[in-house]
Amino acid sequence: MDNRLLINLIPGETFLHKLTGKTKVRTFLILMVYIIMSFDLRLIMPLSILSIMGLVSLKPQWKIIKFFFIIIGLMNVLNIVLFWLADPNIGTMWCGGTTTVLFRLTERLFLSAETLWYLCVRFIKMMTSFMVSLVFILAITPSELAAGLYSIKVPYKICTIFSIAFRYIPDIGRDFQNIKISLQTRGVELDPKKSSIGKRLKQNILILVPLITTSFDRVGNISNAMDLRGYGRGRTRTYYSEHEELKADKVFKALYIILILFCVYWIITQNIMAETLSMWYPFV
Amino acid sequence: MSTPIVEFKDFGFKYKSQSAPTLHDINLTICKGEKVLILGPSGSGKSTLANCINGLNPFSYDGVITGSCKVAGMETKDASIFALSKVVGTVLQDSDAQFVGLSVGEDIAFALENQSMPRKEMLPKVEWAAGVVGMSDFLMHVPYELSGGQKQKVALAGVLHGDVDLLIFDEPLASLDPRMGMTAVELIDRMHKEQNKTVVIVEHRLEDVLYRSVDRIVLMNEGRIVYDGVPDELLASDLLTRYGIREPLYIKAMKYAGCELTPDQNLSDIEGMDLSPFEDKLKQQQLVQLEKYVPKVGEEILKVQNVSFAYGKDPVLKNISFSVRRGEKVAFVGKNGAGKSTMAKLICGIIRPREGQVLINGTDYMKYSIKEIGEKIGYVMQNPNQMLVKDIIRDELELAMLLRGKSRQEIDEAVKKTLKMCGLYPMRNWPVSAVSYGQKKRVTIASILVLQPEIIILDEPTAGQDYRHYTEIMEFLDELNREYGITIVFITHDMHLAIQYTDRAIVFSEGELVADDSVFRVLSNDQVITRANLKQTSLYTLAMRLGIEPEAYIEHFINYERMVRAHGQQASD
Repeated sequence: MDNRLLINLIPGETFLHKLTGKTKVRTFLILMVYIIMSFDLRLIMPLSILSIMGLVSLKPQWKIIKFFFIIIGLMNVLNIVLFWLADPNIGTMWCGGTTTVLFRLTERLFLSAETLWYLCVRFIKMMTSFMVSLVFILAITPSELAAGLYSIKVPYKICTIFSIAFRYIPDIGRDFQNIKISLQTRGVELDPKKSSIGKRLKQNILILVPLITTSFDRVGNISNAMDLRGYGRGRTRTYYSEHEELKADKVFKALYIILILFCVYWIITQNIMAETLSMWYPFV
Repeated sequence: MSTPIVEFKDFGFKYKSQSAPTLHDINLTICKGEKVLILGPSGSGKSTLANCINGLNPFSYDGVITGSCKVAGMETKDASIFALSKVVGTVLQDSDAQFVGLSVGEDIAFALENQSMPRKEMLPKVEWAAGVVGMSDFLMHVPYELSGGQKQKVALAGVLHGDVDLLIFDEPLASLDPRMGMTAVELIDRMHKEQNKTVVIVEHRLEDVLYRSVDRIVLMNEGRIVYDGVPDELLASDLLTRYGIREPLYIKAMKYAGCELTPDQNLSDIEGMDLSPFEDKLKQQQLVQLEKYVPKVGEEILKVQNVSFAYGKDPVLKNISFSVRRGEKVAFVGKNGAGKSTMAKLICGIIRPREGQVLINGTDYMKYSIKEIGEKIGYVMQNPNQMLVKDIIRDELELAMLLRGKSRQEIDEAVKKTLKMCGLYPMRNWPVSAVSYGQKKRVTIASILVLQPEIIILDEPTAGQDYRHYTEIMEFLDELNREYGITIVFITHDMHLAIQYTDRAIVFSEGELVADDSVFRVLSNDQVITRANLKQTSLYTLAMRLGIEPEAYIEHFINYERMVRAHGQQASD
């Protein structure tokens, strides 16, 4: 049943799966800061390699992953092309002021070595943040996410939204299917060959009415079930899915604390105190 | 034994949203260790009463309490739903919606999580509770892998912890097939006997609950308690019929035979009661000559030939063949997942066979679209809320016609005719939201009938309805069949329904057709019953005990009942 969709409901068996939700959420947040804070390939590359290793170690279903990779990859390519079109000289500002033109299309559109470097780093950075997110999503279950968020002082009523949503989305999907079927037999044409997009959109809206009614019925039942088992009684709560910290969690904790210190140092010296925006450029 | 755990004194309850009170003058004491059944038709206030014990009333549904209700010494109106939830465990009717965890273990732990119990203490408790209900091997399962019965067990495990002394089961049998229902009743009985819990069951399916003994039955009607005492006395009386509760079939059979029932005859236990005083009468009854009922059927209108279907690789229907004739009433029976709903979808053309053929009036239906098939075969879903899309009843009926681009005149004619057929004409301009659940059901049937289909398929037409509404809907369908010759297919696991209202049962099990025969023959075939997760009716047990051939006995009972019903109708006409 696990990995049936992208999201697991039951934790998997690999090393990363077995970390606690707390470790997963905290590590993920730190790594996001780490990626965003710099355009330095020396910082990004190691994480990029680590995230690929992480992804492989999770033994995901590559078919679904591949699909996401293609979509995100294409969007990022589009993104850097647009960046280049908007300002072909963007690399010069980042790489210390030089402009080494590689080839020129028109007076305005040219490609410099600096811009190429900047755009490549940008692409790697975006793909790395995508991969880190993917590793995070694949490694965590919604309940662990709730527990992890709770561990960073997010109120538990907000955390519950995540786990409850994942619990009932498939049910709503099933309701949707049923409603669709009943409307189809009554004559709603949803076959793309037989009716136009506009018409189909309008008829899909017809499905929403009963879907909302049935969902509200369900919400009533769910909230009763939760009240009757004491939900919302206390200020705090614990999580069954959040197991005790293992050795790996402690190692991760040490690592992310070091990483936090490093990020703080970097952000202060390189971002806040820096005179100009700049990036590491080995070919000066 | 006699420490009271629930004490109602001159209790009344009025929902804030309603003008009149739902409960009046309730005086009821339930003692520790008792097993009580609260019986009553829909709207009698039985669920309201249960919700006053667990605190949903007035804490989740606002309302005004008069008089007093004490639960474990706490005056409920001064307590909180949380305080009450420590003593009272409630298993709700909708076993799916109350499953809030993402795995079995998590769901069982939910109450403990809310108490901020450290995980180390939680684990053994969860394992213990799962063990009690027999779900130990499923702790890591997600809800989508479980059957309705298993979800219900999890729900029970989730309220078993700690100091919970009182368990309330709100309509525990509503969504279970007959065999699962038996298991549920056994499980509830075990909770009572082995875990020493006080048990309150809210149900209207008396016969199924009586499969295991209860100490006391509280019968409710229109917000008042009309009977509070031992089951046997209730069974001997005429209160059940008077208040619209279905009598157990064997009791009905005995009453038909003219047996004098008295409270001291151990009537609630069909296996254990002494039949000798009734034997003569029951056997004599069997000799009464009845008109043999022959259904009026016409030509074959639907033929399913060697049909197989699979979702991906898993076969759901395997080589199925049967046919339906015009004017027939057929039941598709079998446990959940046996393939009966898939069969219905296939007949409607929503899914198409991988192998084999479906013929409608002799034509292969592959050339029809779903929409076209919809004009010949209508499909009514179980939950009317999933079907109703318009605000006004009339518009709901018009929808299918409008979507087919019919002329205004045609639409008006067809809608008017259908409204009259369904007895909805006076309400045609009412908003759909203003009518009762049973009437909504009727509207959904009407919205299908407007296309004048030859066959209608109804998925669990009586789910969630008490006996009175159930009878109303079924009589209505019977009338459609009789008066207008509409062929009707029921998908159901209610064997009472199949017995009373259909001519033929097609039994599915694991995607195969295991029987296609008259209902009484299916019900006297042990092998079929086991394979399809059905349950012997009490008529079978009664026949066996009397030494009468069960098949003949059940057939005779059905024919007799038909006669009684027909006469009843004449009398009321």
